[in-house]
Amino acid sequence: MTLEEKLQILADSAKYDASCSSSGSKRTGQMGCAAVSGICHSFASDGRCISLLKILLTNICIFDCKYCLNRKSNNIKRAIFTPEEICEITLNFYRRNYIEGLFLSSGIVKSADYTMNLLIETIYSLRNKYHFSGYIHAKAIPGASPYLVKKLGSLVDRMSANVELATENGLKLLAPNKNSQSVQKIMAYVKENKTKNFVPAGQSTQMIIGASKESDLDILTKSSYLYDNYQLKRVFYSAYIAVNQDKLLPNLKIPPLVRENRLYQADWLLRFYNFKVADILSWQKPNFNLLLDPKCEYALNHLELFPKEINTCSYNDLLKIPGIGVTSAKRIYASRKMFALSFKDLPKMGVVLKRAQYFITCQGKYFQDRSFYRRDYLEHNLVLLENAKETRKVEQLSLF
Amino acid sequence: MKKVNNVYLYDGSFLNLLSLIKVLLKENIIPQNIKIQGYEENLFSSNINLEIEDDEKIIPNIIHNLGSRIFNGIYYIYLSNNDDKELLIYYFLLYSIKYKDKVFVLRKIEEVNKGLKVIKYVGNENHKMKGFLRFKELKNNVLYAEFAPTNNVLPLLVNHFKKRLKNERWLIYDQKRNIWAYYDLKEVYFWDGLDINIKIDNISDDEEKMVHLWQTFYDTIGIKERKNDRCRQNFMPKKYWKYITEVENI
Ligand code: SF4
Repeated sequence: MTLEEKLQILADSAKYDASCSSSGSKRTGQMGCAAVSGICHSFASDGRCISLLKILLTNICIFDCKYCLNRKSNNIKRAIFTPEEICEITLNFYRRNYIEGLFLSSGIVKSADYTMNLLIETIYSLRNKYHFSGYIHAKAIPGASPYLVKKLGSLVDRMSANVELATENGLKLLAPNKNSQSVQKIMAYVKENKTKNFVPAGQSTQMIIGASKESDLDILTKSSYLYDNYQLKRVFYSAYIAVNQDKLLPNLKIPPLVRENRLYQADWLLRFYNFKVADILSWQKPNFNLLLDPKCEYALNHLELFPKEINTCSYNDLLKIPGIGVTSAKRIYASRKMFALSFKDLPKMGVVLKRAQYFITCQGKYFQDRSFYRRDYLEHNLVLLENAKETRKVEQLSLF
Repeated sequence: MKKVNNVYLYDGSFLNLLSLIKVLLKENIIPQNIKIQGYEENLFSSNINLEIEDDEKIIPNIIHNLGSRIFNGIYYIYLSNNDDKELLIYYFLLYSIKYKDKVFVLRKIEEVNKGLKVIKYVGNENHKMKGFLRFKELKNNVLYAEFAPTNNVLPLLVNHFKKRLKNERWLIYDQKRNIWAYYDLKEVYFWDGLDINIKIDNISDDEEKMVHLWQTFYDTIGIKERKNDRCRQNFMPKKYWKYITEVENI
């Protein structure tokens, strides 16, 4: 098998992992450096950022997770890279500025420890034989011995283990060889040992969206639990793509991308906007409205808290207003100390006025007659606005 | 401050521009515009060449009085492709004197807001180029890249590659402005107008294989069920594709 064929197979099997970020590390050395803010080197045909050489070490696997292309029961071409091959490609791509570094994951060959050793051997060689100091994100294999987790963690910038499904029931059904304990054991280990020499860019994880019956509430509750307990940098959400036919799996023609997007938006609200899961989802309404982003939905459900006065409300309140992001909230907060702000100043601060205008006053004034401040009217306008801007979403929505 | 209908001329260099602005500010003049010498006079204004003594201390003075953040800001504007960049720098300095670093939140003032947007635009393009620049390996092991950025980001970009490729010799060519930057493992040197011919047979033997592997990776990594051209183009504007190996032939 040629190197090119291997690369084709092992990139193809790795592509479903959503994580590609290269941020959060300041490593420097002889060959390369990691930029704190992360750098995108290209964008794939699906519009996702390419920052790292994202590959599996091998797609051979002893497990049989239902949703996975590499599961044991699939009759597909299998390949395995040698450590030298991975080093050669990584270094040559890096020098030419194709990539920021390596994302190395793997199917489980023989055992968790055996696979971990292969990963370690490869990355050890990159770091110590070739003095590579670019970014490396490695997957830790659940179930591997702690001393191997420690060894791998001391070589990489980021280490992660994928949760995959938000509930134990989901895992039992679709990934019978896995359990959430082994993943969380790795997370706990990383959290306790994180230093500037051990997983300096922190850990992340991923959940698959739409392969099992979990609601958005299940998923977001899990994320929130992980952020709080393991100091995760990111949770990634990956719309399920029907790679396998199985009676246990939904037969999706099109991946649930709108739902995935809503989860990312909500995840953002948890991390940067001081929202709690209970602010945006409930047992009565466990799934997001596909027609509206979670922040608009929140505001519509809490009209009694709005409109907020731009010139006097707290920073935390600014963050709660649809159409105002963290950057624009900061700008407003700094500017209004010098001048009173009016509607026409807000676009200069980066505010999306078309959305924000419904939920704010400027120097006491609402942008239109107050009698329009009613849920039905606002909802109608916001839904139109949201869906005019993304025709792609509308196409998908019409399928539901 | 008095507004005059004059266009003031400078020689195109950053230092000369700053010296000129310093004189204008001292004499309380708000110019109609500031342009490079050779600018054609129009009906509504007259061109003025002020006598300025080049003051070598001007940059240290600005950094000392206003701080490096403001200095970097105006340097970014200077590197931009904005038609009125000189005037934007003038206003940025004018308001910086009064507001110091607070000028960065002075978006309510239109001229400052424009300047801030330009600073962000140049910074963004510089950041994008850190990712989009593509090197080829030449036979003598030098890494060579060509690009044509909208703003003149090469002077900023070299700082990044000095760290990233510090043990490699490299050469970057801005095709639009005909400027070269060469790094010899210690320093970066700039030339403009130079005629260097990189011939095809100077490219190393490995190059084709690596480009091929990269193309394979690129074509594989996109998920076809998620295909989204518009999103790709938003992040990676078409104007850069000519220089980006994996998409130049799409
Ligand atoms: S362990 Fe990983 S590679 Fe193996 S089948 Fe499960 S998800 Fe796929």
